[in-house]
Amino acid sequence: MPKQSPIPDELDKPFYDACNEERLVIQYCTSCRRYQFPPRPGCTRCGNNASVQWRQLSGRGRIVSRVVVHDTPTSSLIPEQPFNVAAIALDEEPDIIMLSHLPGTPVDQVPIGAAVEVIFETTPATGQKVPEWRVAG
Amino acid sequence: MPHPGVPHSWFRNKDGLGLWEGRGKVVATGVGTSPTARRWDEKPETSMGALTIIAIRKAIADAGISPDEIDGLVLTPESTTGVSNDPKTPPPPGWEKHFKMASFPQAGITRGDIDWLLLNTPELKNVKFMMNGAMCMSVSFVAAAEAVARGLTQTCLVVRGWHNLAGRYYVGVGASALNTASGPFKYSSIWGLPACGTTAMVFEEYCRKYGKSHDQMANFVVTQRRNGLMNPDGFYSQHRPEMITVEDYLTARWIAKPANIYDNDLPIMAALAVVFTTPERAKNHKQKPVYILSHGQTRPEMMGVTPTLEKWEQATDRMGRILYEGSGVGPDDLSFENMYDGFTLFHQFHLEGLRYAARGEKRGYALDLYETDISIEGPNPVSPSGGNNGNGRTRWWNHRDTILQLQGRSPSQIRKKAEIGVSGAPMPDICDALIWSATPPV
Amino acid sequence: MIYLLSFDIDGTMEFGDPAGGVTVEMVRRAKELGFIVGSCSDRFPSWQKKAWDSYGVAVDFWVPKHMLLDVKTRFQADRYVHIGDRDIDRQLAEKVGFHFWWDHEAVAEPWLAWLTDQR
Repeated sequence: MPKQSPIPDELDKPFYDACNEERLVIQYCTSCRRYQFPPRPGCTRCGNNASVQWRQLSGRGRIVSRVVVHDTPTSSLIPEQPFNVAAIALDEEPDIIMLSHLPGTPVDQVPIGAAVEVIFETTPATGQKVPEWRVAG
Repeated sequence: MPHPGVPHSWFRNKDGLGLWEGRGKVVATGVGTSPTARRWDEKPETSMGALTIIAIRKAIADAGISPDEIDGLVLTPESTTGVSNDPKTPPPPGWEKHFKMASFPQAGITRGDIDWLLLNTPELKNVKFMMNGAMCMSVSFVAAAEAVARGLTQTCLVVRGWHNLAGRYYVGVGASALNTASGPFKYSSIWGLPACGTTAMVFEEYCRKYGKSHDQMANFVVTQRRNGLMNPDGFYSQHRPEMITVEDYLTARWIAKPANIYDNDLPIMAALAVVFTTPERAKNHKQKPVYILSHGQTRPEMMGVTPTLEKWEQATDRMGRILYEGSGVGPDDLSFENMYDGFTLFHQFHLEGLRYAARGEKRGYALDLYETDISIEGPNPVSPSGGNNGNGRTRWWNHRDTILQLQGRSPSQIRKKAEIGVSGAPMPDICDALIWSATPPV
Repeated sequence: MIYLLSFDIDGTMEFGDPAGGVTVEMVRRAKELGFIVGSCSDRFPSWQKKAWDSYGVAVDFWVPKHMLLDVKTRFQADRYVHIGDRDIDRQLAEKVGFHFWWDHEAVAEPWLAWLTDQR
């Protein structure tokens, strides 16, 4: 899928640098013992900046929901319509949802509840890699 | 001149706060609604600012008071969820001949501005209390309720205008047209989700969990439009009076399945003003006072890119608890509910959080309720205002109608006696809501 | 030869919201010249029909935006064209084998040239 290339900023550069190395890292607050994503300047629960560190995840998750997009606002994806967008709950923290086009899964045939594993997709404009997910096994 | 936002301590956002101290000390009386339009035609007299002034004057006249009596103004400055010009963009030529200019160039065009309003509504000579209620008029209603209850203002206008600029927006233009994505939306925009996508995703999860289907939404959507078409101030009644059918809904094209085109609301131009005051002063107002029994707020603890069903259910459950604890009433006391609907697919989260018309159920019953008689004639009126879906996008038709219902003069007046109502907006996990009553609390 | 012209309304027709550049007269002329004409829009089908009736144009079909395939099934034609103003119009049209013209291309009534070609 010809996704837009995300432009990293100072805050999320560690996330995107890790993507380019095909590693999935997200923020973890050592005080609250919880993950958060997307990256933020501090913990969204305790507000502490110093307690937030980057941690690598297993890259495993589960599909909790999906939509089929028929009328996207994103120009580069219009030719791909209709396409799946799935909500992926991370194994380490199921409250954290990442999105996926589920490459390899036919449109409107998303297996809810299925285990998925992360892959990394290169976006065309800048070559920045982003996390994608495919049904495991 | 910058005006203060609402102090955080004013919001009732947790359990255990007990009855609201302002309960019964604040009432709404006058209501003023501007004409509507689909888009701005770039004439000063139809601008968002001009519509706001119209709404203010109508509200004051509706209350039957002198503008001199207004000593407070609470405004929601944000005036769209669509396109706003660069704040530095100068107003169109000739603008300064119609309006006095505030320091903010886009004031009255793509942003509400207290200073601009006061400059251009010169009869408001005695406004001393001024506050901005950010993001949603629900916040401004709460702010004004607290301000009156705390004695900071005696008679306060609550105001919000909406603009929708000419031309199309959002799809395939602006940031959506780029091959790169920057800023906070890059975690969602690269996946191409339309605005309704998140709601559709949680709705899908809801249907899967409770064994429900999108088709069960049809009667709700049709009833919304029916209620809206009774409202002579609504966009559809003024400009597109055609009625939607169940077949229209069930055969509509998908935007993000399971959200179709009629699950989305239509951006419009419109403004609303409401007069808040004390019960004592309201004795001299023309309209019957509607008492505010309490208010509540939810905000998400953001962890992921999108919310989950569990989070939305937790948030709306919390809202129900906070509202009932603060007001001293319960679900069975509600004559109707007027929670937000702009997207239709999340209305049931609000409804279930309040346990509205539940028969012992806690969750997963709303779509079955939708298939019963939810009309204004029936025993369980759902969203009698018609909401955004029946009137166009404002996030305030529901509040407005709740006041009118309890005054007994709603154009879509419920047939049973309207005694206590609830209204709130916008999202299930980002919501400010109020419980209102036709009579003072016992 | 049989030609079918489908018109989007909002952003395409002069009575759309926003107004487009294609006039009722253009549609009426096509109809009078023997084209199969109709609308395919996000407006309710019942409203589409009423709108055309109010302009005195006896259109052959009035359907939701995503139902061009139904039109193709119902009407046998040698050429099928949809005119619209959004990418989604183009996509939905091309997906079911319609040729697509943007609204600004259509204001020149390019379909009239087909009659000349035919002669």
